[in-house]
Amino acid sequence: MLVIIAAFCGEAHAQTTRTMGLRDNTPGVFAFTNAEIVVEPGRHISGATLVVRNGIIEAVSRRVQIPADAAVIDLNGRFIYPGFIDMYSHYGLEDPEENDDQVHWNPQIRSHYSAAANFRPDAKQAGRMRSQGFVVAHSVPAHGLLRGQGSVVSLGEAEANRMIIRRDMSQALSFRRSPLFGRGYPTSAMGGIALLRQSMLDADWYVSAHNTYRANPGLERPETNLALEKLAGARQQGIPFIAETENENWVLRARAISGEFGLELWILGNGHEYKRIDEISRGGHPFILPLNFPSPPDVSTPEQALNVSLEDLRHWYLAPGNPAKVAGAGTTMALTSYGSQDKFLANLRTAIERGLDENAALAALTTTPAAMLGIDNTHGTLATGKAASFVISDKNLFTKESNILQVWVDGEHYPVKPDREEARGKWLLSGYDKLEGASIELEGQANRLRGHIRLDDKRTRLARVSYDNRRLMLGFPGDTLGIQGVVRMSASISGDQLLGIGETASGEFFTWKAGRTEGPAGDPSRNQRSLRPLDLPERFPSMEYGVTAIPEQPRHVVIRNATLWTQGPEGILEGADMLVENGRISAVGIGLTAPRRALEIDATGMHVTPGLIDPHIHSSIAGGVNEVGDAITSETRITDVMDANTVWIYRLLAGGITSATLFHGSANPIGGQNAVIKMRWGQLPDELLIEDAAPGLKMALGENVKGNTSRYPNTRQGVEQIIKDAFEAALEYGTAMEQAQHGQGKLPVRRDLTLEPILEVIRGERKAHVHAYRQDEMLMMIRLADEYGFTIGSFEHTLEGYKIADELREHGAGAVAWSDWSSFKVESYDGILHNARLLNDVGVLTSLHSDNTQLSTRMNWEAAKTMKTGVSEVDAMNFITLHPARIMGIDHRVGSLEVGKDADFVIWEGHPMSTFSIPAQTWVDGRKYFDRETDQALQQEVKQERSMIIARIIEEQQSAARNGQE
Amino acid sequence: MNPNKSNCILTQCFALMKPALLMLSVLIAGQAAAHTPAPPQQRPIAIVNATIHTLTQGVIEEGTVVFDNGRITAVGTNPSIPADAEVIDASGKYVYPGFIHGRTTLGLTEIGRIAVGTDLNELGNINPNIRAQVAFHPASEHIPVAAVNGILTAVSTPSGGTIPGKPAAMMTDGFTWEQMTLKEGIGLSIDWPSMNNTDNYLKALAELQQAFDKARRYKQAREAMEAGQAVFHPTDVRWEAMIPVLNREMPVFISAGEVRQIQAAISWGEKEGLDMVLVGSRDMDLVAGQLAEKGIPVMLSNVISGPARQWEGYGQFYSIPKVLHEAGVHFMIAGDASAAYAYRLPHHAAAAVAFGLPEEEGLKSVTINAARILGIDDRVGSIEPGKDATLMITDGNPLELWTSKEQVFIQGRRIDMTDKHKRLFERYMEKHRQEQL
Repeated sequence: MLVIIAAFCGEAHAQTTRTMGLRDNTPGVFAFTNAEIVVEPGRHISGATLVVRNGIIEAVSRRVQIPADAAVIDLNGRFIYPGFIDMYSHYGLEDPEENDDQVHWNPQIRSHYSAAANFRPDAKQAGRMRSQGFVVAHSVPAHGLLRGQGSVVSLGEAEANRMIIRRDMSQALSFRRSPLFGRGYPTSAMGGIALLRQSMLDADWYVSAHNTYRANPGLERPETNLALEKLAGARQQGIPFIAETENENWVLRARAISGEFGLELWILGNGHEYKRIDEISRGGHPFILPLNFPSPPDVSTPEQALNVSLEDLRHWYLAPGNPAKVAGAGTTMALTSYGSQDKFLANLRTAIERGLDENAALAALTTTPAAMLGIDNTHGTLATGKAASFVISDKNLFTKESNILQVWVDGEHYPVKPDREEARGKWLLSGYDKLEGASIELEGQANRLRGHIRLDDKRTRLARVSYDNRRLMLGFPGDTLGIQGVVRMSASISGDQLLGIGETASGEFFTWKAGRTEGPAGDPSRNQRSLRPLDLPERFPSMEYGVTAIPEQPRHVVIRNATLWTQGPEGILEGADMLVENGRISAVGIGLTAPRRALEIDATGMHVTPGLIDPHIHSSIAGGVNEVGDAITSETRITDVMDANTVWIYRLLAGGITSATLFHGSANPIGGQNAVIKMRWGQLPDELLIEDAAPGLKMALGENVKGNTSRYPNTRQGVEQIIKDAFEAALEYGTAMEQAQHGQGKLPVRRDLTLEPILEVIRGERKAHVHAYRQDEMLMMIRLADEYGFTIGSFEHTLEGYKIADELREHGAGAVAWSDWSSFKVESYDGILHNARLLNDVGVLTSLHSDNTQLSTRMNWEAAKTMKTGVSEVDAMNFITLHPARIMGIDHRVGSLEVGKDADFVIWEGHPMSTFSIPAQTWVDGRKYFDRETDQALQQEVKQERSMIIARIIEEQQSAARNGQE
Repeated sequence: MNPNKSNCILTQCFALMKPALLMLSVLIAGQAAAHTPAPPQQRPIAIVNATIHTLTQGVIEEGTVVFDNGRITAVGTNPSIPADAEVIDASGKYVYPGFIHGRTTLGLTEIGRIAVGTDLNELGNINPNIRAQVAFHPASEHIPVAAVNGILTAVSTPSGGTIPGKPAAMMTDGFTWEQMTLKEGIGLSIDWPSMNNTDNYLKALAELQQAFDKARRYKQAREAMEAGQAVFHPTDVRWEAMIPVLNREMPVFISAGEVRQIQAAISWGEKEGLDMVLVGSRDMDLVAGQLAEKGIPVMLSNVISGPARQWEGYGQFYSIPKVLHEAGVHFMIAGDASAAYAYRLPHHAAAAVAFGLPEEEGLKSVTINAARILGIDDRVGSIEPGKDATLMITDGNPLELWTSKEQVFIQGRRIDMTDKHKRLFERYMEKHRQEQL
């Protein structure tokens, strides 16, 4: 500690620390002369002088009177830049112990945690960051959902309290819980978002409850909760919330949740922004961009290359262009070494090579972060009165040939670890008569040198070359050069000079020296030949089968002469036409007249059906499909975590699916709120939603929910009780909310996002979709619903539905079933092929589902299986179109080919229920999203694009190997 | 696809379906609830006026097939019919050989998650002496489900470890496993070890190699002993079980899940001089040319599956049979391994047809080609005199999901067409009747 204090000599007036022993009063006055000073982005002063006094810049200009007390450092044309500010780090923060302070019931909620209070300067880490040009870091807590308060710290080396520049000036949040704090709720991303949302509401409630309590001391005392207090305060003061994001979708999610609560949002980016740059830049939120570019996918063997996706290949190639895209979109952008660490500068230079403007880069490292962090009066530029924290480099710092020579922080010089002396190149020997005028050429990789020695026209390979940064060592048989036996030589390197000793086989000892006459081939990474840019089309999503543009919606489309499965009162029409106008069906019939410019499709010999609807899949959900941290998790929402970047959306279109319900898994008696989407491949997650679908709540009974022995319930009886208890709680909550609105001088009622959707179910405003296999549990659930006066939307899986078809009909619940799944677990043993038939026979609203994305690509075949049990072809088609549409409350939009409905349809080359039939075209909203012929071409494009990028990876690796790069 | 490709045109389908269902209810009403195995064929049966898909001799319109004592005695347009024969008029109907499922857990498990009811995976990695048929549970509910859907031969296959044992070709009707065994030990199963971890792979490979080396030493010693040239060598049931493989009297069925495994398995099998069938699906298309050139038969274990890799076309798996066919590979199709889903077998062949395999090849892949690869084509796989009368009468193309198998015969035995599905269906139809729903 004493050493550190000694190293940091500032004015004694700024600190309270007691001096131990002698005072250090070394003067801190410097004049850096003859410098190329970049005072701020876009402004250079050549041949200028920078004067520093006691950590502060005293002057910077071309004409400066150099103070008499200043130590003069002649920079001889070298560059000075304002020191970089790292906008995101966990610098100086150790991982906290598992939280047992019980500030908040959930250890992931830690808005009260202060980086400043826990800050411990870390000399090693500071050195690493300085080596990349950083002088200041924004240090942000690393753990939890609401992680706590960040601080701005200097990257010098002294006591913590001297290094903190601004404290508690930001809040950090994430969507994933930290594993540091146990394995409890929330286990999923959607649970994380739900807890964030509830915490924001709780913070509002907390303030209002305490205000009410202060005015009415006779009330029940509300809890004390420092986390909620800090959270409420931060929101009130407009303190920025930094959201950690994993990809472009998480940026959108962060934006959505911050929009809900009016947060001042800063986004810690992820490198995937370019994939949706237009949408992402629209928010106007500042970005903090890491430069952690992906390493190339392993394509070292043909079979490895087979397993690499185009998505990963594209990202490898496109990621270095991301900073330029983000900057080019006009977003406020700061950079961080977070994730790239020691590769930051190298990656920054790559980003510049890939289009990032140098001034934009410098601004993103200096003026922009200084302004964001509120330290622009002291940092960010080189100006009189600002902190003397700067970087000296030999050349333009943003070019690959440059090196950082020195970093100064608050007027202190911190040496940057020098590059190892370069041994490679051509050396001319002197000082030893037998080898006078010989030349040594060293090449190869820095740690695996090879070379030869040449005297006149004679040449010998060096049998041994090594260089461990202290001494260069050579060995070779001297006979060719006229020296008998092995010659061994060693030398010190300093710049372009060698100074050495040697010994021959005969025991002759000699000294020698050498000068470098030709430079080394150079750092291969710096000298690498720039390869021609690859011409990759933009794709949405940026992966295999991504579209280059959203398919157009022709004003008019007419399908001619088809076998038209209307699934409406008109049944199946032979030789029929269908007219589509602006994405909606405008006419269905025989011999329709169509506008002259209508796109005409001759469907002679073909069948046209409504787009298929799968009312139950678990695809396109990010961060876990179950929230297993609790039994009742109705607060979780699939809409929070939808992912449109799954190739399955395209594959589902290929199978004729146009709409589907995304459900939670079945780990919970009450799982959460589902989403109903269309397969609008290439669009954003929110754009997939069918907004006016009936809201739903996934519930589950039976084996899956009772299997967790560490959690209630463990029996089917317990399942009934926990659901009943949740219903009671929801009703009581509803009553409390109503009474609170009348204002009776009570504590405010806390909004409860878990109970609200349950209350909506009881009130008939939200459909319950209940996973169930056995008849007993379905009957139990029906009775429970009867008791609370609502109708169950549907049972899901419904394996034994056929055993109580009458009860389902009586109650009015829909039945969503597999065609033929059975016997994979005990409760599925009585699953039979005739289930749908028996349910449909008595008038239960019956639908088929997949619960499995691959199965979902062939729902026509699932329906065909029911035909064998005696279901008519129209009913079988209803099971995968109109009926699921009704169950999901989207039948006003889709499910049949009727006038006014969305033009979601499939063109089949044969009978849609034949095992030999697959879709020829799939249309959504009057846009052709899938075409079998186009798919053939697309498959070729995918192959070509893959081979092009794979070839580039191999090219780069080979060129690196040639240049001796490690 | 052209709708006419299907033998069952829409309207006909339903015309055919109704009587079929009626017949079904009559059958059920007169029988005990449970499926009862059929007695041996009592007298000759002649199915007449049928469209007969022989699979080896083309399609015979208005044809007749006669069988007696369990064997087919005549097939043709007008063969002589024994006087005492029972004549079944199959006008408008079709006759096909029974389907053959090459790789299933049928009879060896009932409910997958119930370990005690499952006999698939013996302890250890090297179990060549395990015989599938002795744990084949005749009362499994899944067996009649397979049978009434036309799966009349099923190869029940142990799994787990490197050598799981010997699969057996089972008939899907009978009172005891012995009666139901069509052919035991159709081959020796080898599950090629995973190549994802080099250490584990080399360890498993060494174990496999050692099994073969030891079996060879054992065979040599025992032969010497039997020839009176050596001292007594006690029995080793494991190596004893491998002698037919070493003698090339029994093939090995090597499962290989990706291209590295496939090529490693081929090289190894060739080095060992084995009679080899490759089992798998993924990446078989990549080496189709080599498979054809070497004449190695392939059992495709799955057709209905999503692409293995994100960049692959959506129909990648479905198209593998077409690629193999076009390359000239001798292949068969096996469907879902799961016992409860054995009956889905024809769907796998049909999906391959939807993605370009000629329809006739689709049918062969689950009948005659399967029989040939499994070494049971002397008994099943086609409608030919001398073969077992293991066949079915259908109301349409049996590759269509909507087609009903109206009656199946195994070795001439008329099989009870009830199964658990139909039994429960009838029970709840009765509930509906009682409640006048």
